Amino acid sequence: MIPEAMVVGLGSPDRGDDAVGTLVAERVRAMVREGVRVLTREDPTALVHAWAGCHTVVVVDAMISGVAVGTVAVRRAGTRDAALPTHAFAAAGRGGSHAFGLAGAVELSRALGTLPEHVAIVGIEAFNFNHGPMSPQVAASIDDAVAAVSAELARAGHPLQGSEAGTCVWEQSRG
Amino acid sequence: MTHQLKDGGQVLSVGMLARVEGEGGMHIEIKDREVVSVKLNIFEPPRFYEGFLRGRKYTEPPDITARICGICPVAYQSASTEAMETICGVTTTAEIQLMRRLLYCGEWIESHSLHIFMLHAPDFLGFESVLEMAKDHADVVNMALRLKKAGNDVMELVGGRAIHPVNVKVGGFYRMPTLTQLEALRPDLERGLEDALAAVQFVSTFEFPEMEQGYNYVSLRHPDWYPLERGAEIVATSGARFPVAEIGAHVQEFQVEHSNALHARFDGEPYVVGPLARYSLNFDQLGPRCQEAALRAGLGQTCRNPFKSIIVRTVELAYAFEEALRIVDLWADGHSPSVPVPPRAGQGVGASEAPRGTIWHRYTIDADGVIEDAQIVPPTSQNQASIEADLHLAAQQWVDLDDHTLTHRCEAAIRNYDPCISCATHFLDLRVKRS
Repeated sequence: MIPEAMVVGLGSPDRGDDAVGTLVAERVRAMVREGVRVLTREDPTALVHAWAGCHTVVVVDAMISGVAVGTVAVRRAGTRDAALPTHAFAAAGRGGSHAFGLAGAVELSRALGTLPEHVAIVGIEAFNFNHGPMSPQVAASIDDAVAAVSAELARAGHPLQGSEAGTCVWEQSRG
Repeated sequence: MTHQLKDGGQVLSVGMLARVEGEGGMHIEIKDREVVSVKLNIFEPPRFYEGFLRGRKYTEPPDITARICGICPVAYQSASTEAMETICGVTTTAEIQLMRRLLYCGEWIESHSLHIFMLHAPDFLGFESVLEMAKDHADVVNMALRLKKAGNDVMELVGGRAIHPVNVKVGGFYRMPTLTQLEALRPDLERGLEDALAAVQFVSTFEFPEMEQGYNYVSLRHPDWYPLERGAEIVATSGARFPVAEIGAHVQEFQVEHSNALHARFDGEPYVVGPLARYSLNFDQLGPRCQEAALRAGLGQTCRNPFKSIIVRTVELAYAFEEALRIVDLWADGHSPSVPVPPRAGQGVGASEAPRGTIWHRYTIDADGVIEDAQIVPPTSQNQASIEADLHLAAQQWVDLDDHTLTHRCEAAIRNYDPCISCATHFLDLRVKRS
């Protein structure tokens, strides 16, 4: 059965800050109500079919955008939103080879008609993708990221248990 | 992008080549319509895995070496476990070998479906990337995603994770999947087999540049099956044939100035490992349906056109589905997931057929199981010289094409090998210089 909403934690649990998406999703898993499915995935290509038919999807992933480490930011990438930059995919480099990134998966999904109407990407600024533990700044941002997911689900009418729709406060940015 | 040089020469710069794994560059120099120099510059930094394996326990390589690559971790796990079990004089059970083969099928399905349809097919269908291709060939891309998911599911069930499996150990597995869990894979595997067989015919309709290469093909071979997780011996089209343990006497690794990855020669000559070599040396070990699909697609029992590697890879994709189904059919619950492997001093080799070719590991351990020496030889480093030779031939054959078309042909020639540069160093900036 296709859930109305989905939370996806992306990333490798072994590679430092890349584990943050999975950890946030696991925190959220204990609080979601009926109709919301929580997934963790390492391979973004899995999303292209996995989220087909969902109305709202919140993806949590580590990001590198140049802002302060630990910053939590939300970018919308649904059917009505602007296309994500996929130059890194088309022009290769680390994001465009066998490592099919999140932006590539979103745009492939858009091309195939499986992209949900509402997709929110909750990004946590990270810097350490080596094997080993997460950096303290990223670990300290998990509460903010959970709050961001909560706010996105509340907007879509799926508030987490223990939170009231519209009352979740989180910081757009830290640091 | 074309640049005029002060000396009157011409450099075509393409930035980083897409749809290969890792970071490298390509430099082609042409003078008076003659290709005078071709260099595959691999500048992905060396990763020193062999160095930091020294001093670790003999039980650690399956987990450590799997991290070399996110696309073919099982190849590393299979080669390292086989090497350690050989050194320690332990033979695992037939059921453990079957489960290793199933895990390997999952890796082949994941890797081949990604490369065939999402990285390589755009070259033949005239698209810059699968993102553009999806608009006109949604059915193909949707099929590719289904096939890849089927591979991911096998990896997750048998290996514990879709990327970098954690269920593999020296001596076998930490746990075995149940027959019920395996049976749940069956519908997707059955559909995958039919899709892959149909895809063999689909890719065979692509337009292939005329190009034949007379390389020495090298592959594992086993008397009972097409080589995946292990083989009994190494065979070559040159006629060479010897036990896997002797491969170190035939392969010489050496450094070249323009690459951070070691090059290799087989009995003193460049050689090729990978789908073309496996297929040409093991056609008789494919099942009847895969053989029939290959022949119907216009392949002979050997294939010498590197651009047709996409057809061969698709035949192998179908074989991986067929083999996975065979193993599910054979499975029964109740088998021990592993056998004990007490350490014993010695040296040993393990080899398997990664999606992109033969990989072999050689270890020396002491009586306590501490690793004294390690050598890891992945497929892409072995293929570097032949990739350069293909580029030389391609650039010469099509020297009168405009720079854009020539560059595209050269990029496609590289992708024929599905190179994994992270493995080899353990990408590509293509430059054509004309003068």
